[in-house]
Amino acid sequence: MNLSYLICVSLALFSIGILGVLIRRNALVLFLSIEIMLNAANLLFVEFSFSWGDERGLIWVFFVLIVAAMEAAVGLALIIQLFRKTHSVDVDQYLLE
Amino acid sequence: MWLQMIISFFLLLSAFGIVLCKRPLYSALFFLATLLELGVLYLTLSAEFIAVMQILVYAGAILVIFVFVIVLFQDAHAQIEKFSPRVSRSLCLIAFSCFAISLVYLISHLHGTVHTQELFQGFGQVSSIGESLYTMFFFPFEATLVLFLVAIIGAIYLAKKES
Repeated sequence: MNLSYLICVSLALFSIGILGVLIRRNALVLFLSIEIMLNAANLLFVEFSFSWGDERGLIWVFFVLIVAAMEAAVGLALIIQLFRKTHSVDVDQYLLE
Repeated sequence: MWLQMIISFFLLLSAFGIVLCKRPLYSALFFLATLLELGVLYLTLSAEFIAVMQILVYAGAILVIFVFVIVLFQDAHAQIEKFSPRVSRSLCLIAFSCFAISLVYLISHLHGTVHTQELFQGFGQVSSIGESLYTMFFFPFEATLVLFLVAIIGAIYLAKKES
């Protein structure tokens, strides 16, 4: 079982998430990129849980899933509110006063 | 092993699709593909419960809210111009260097092998995870309920129209 290969996959997934946060200006795609990064961390949890035969990693993945769901609800409500103020989803248009 | 390699190849491909697609709805569909591939990858790592939860929570709840909001803002997406190539290239370089640094750190600390332990009977099944959740992780599990309540109140308060 070659686990180091799968660890590289989750590192690459996290880096793709970073890339998305850096280069995209659409607030919703930026939010999706954050979800990719959360998923990369989850993948790493599952891999090490499998490799060590320890189930606690899977339980932390469960908690990360819950936090991701709540983050989506609150974050999208924030984006809706920003859209009402500026009529744009471009993150460069959001000026915090 | 081969299944994992193929799945992870498509996983990275669809993750690039999320980031590089111009239309946000296509990004959301690529996100769905990413989630399904991750679910299969979890199944190969014998985490059945987490795979099912992944599909239910992400594809069933989070992605649906995303698609609703994307459709709600339909007209606003077209206004966003492409990034200027010069700035974009340097930002790509930052993301790639993050990957390179973490890879170098991994290679210098892993020493080639990760030994795999023997899995016990029922590893990753609902019964054993549920037992851990209600014994060892009882307090964090109950604390998430309070967190849920706070998130619901916060989301309703934020999304409410100011009168």
